[in-house]
Amino acid sequence: MALDPASRARFNLERAAILLLDDTPVGMSILVQIVTGLGAKQLYRCTTVEQAQEVAVSQQIDLAIVDSLSPSGGGYDFIKWMRHNAAEPNCYTPVLVTTAHTPASDVTRARDCGGHILIKKPIAPMVMLERIIWVSKEGRTFLYSDGYVGPDRRFRDEPPPGGGRRREDRAPATPNSDEEIALGALGSKPKALKAS
Amino acid sequence: MSSVRFVFPKHRLAELLREPGGLAVAEALDRAQANLETLKPTCRAELMALLELAEVAYGRLGQSFDDAGMAELYTLAAHGIGAGAVCGAPAVDEGLSSLCDLVDHLRTRRVYDREAIGVNIRAWRLLMTPGLPAEGIAPVLAGLRKVSKRYAPT
Repeated sequence: MALDPASRARFNLERAAILLLDDTPVGMSILVQIVTGLGAKQLYRCTTVEQAQEVAVSQQIDLAIVDSLSPSGGGYDFIKWMRHNAAEPNCYTPVLVTTAHTPASDVTRARDCGGHILIKKPIAPMVMLERIIWVSKEGRTFLYSDGYVGPDRRFRDEPPPGGGRRREDRAPATPNSDEEIALGALGSKPKALKAS
Repeated sequence: MSSVRFVFPKHRLAELLREPGGLAVAEALDRAQANLETLKPTCRAELMALLELAEVAYGRLGQSFDDAGMAELYTLAAHGIGAGAVCGAPAVDEGLSSLCDLVDHLRTRRVYDREAIGVNIRAWRLLMTPGLPAEGIAPVLAGLRKVSKRYAPT
């Protein structure tokens, strides 16, 4: 997901409604300072799962940055709740999951909660921006199955070993590199698509 | 037979990011970093407060397998991760991650090593020392990782 930190490409988070969930004052302050620095202005700061649920049912959310709320893992529960219970479009909202540490007992829960991508703390502004751009990318398939509701976790457009499955069963095409993803989301022409 | 359904939602976020105005990447990153600078004293104070709580909790930690005591230490350490990078002590974040790893391994495997936990707590205080030379930090972190790995599931 390499994005050039000196890039002059522009992006605009001013009108994005962002839900933040973190139960520690310092964790919330760090998140707020990063996203406001990146230009976000419409923040819903939640310190409990209940507050976050209230926001998710009453406001349209464009992005959620949800801490796992270790050690309870309540953040994973919130994301799962949102995927199953929130009305459209919030049930599809891009979700960045932040975590200080994932205990062994929570790895499956973290994988299956329905978040788009996990960010390990400490969080650098650059990493946050790259992830925001990445999750905003259009065309990511959303998957409903008996055991999982959330974004398709397959990252590459490769057929299963041996092939033979239906075309619509495959992940959508993704750009060749993370940089292309970022540039594509910023409205720039991905390098690989430039005319020679 | 299980059923799988795919939908292709359109996120408003993608459209909003492309709206005119906004910030250049470089400018946004500078602003975010400048904002974080204002949190330096808060983050340092928070880490010191958590460390003091952890030292007290370690003092109370039982001599035999103490799951509740270890859970308390895990929570304190996890709550501190992320503050170190902001207050200019990124090694503290690494040390706290090692402590979380260690406690998680011990609890998962139902084994106990009170001294190994103590080493991590003492290292936390050491890593909080302002102006600690980089050549002194690396061996401390390597040692902490070694202690944690000793109990990692094989």
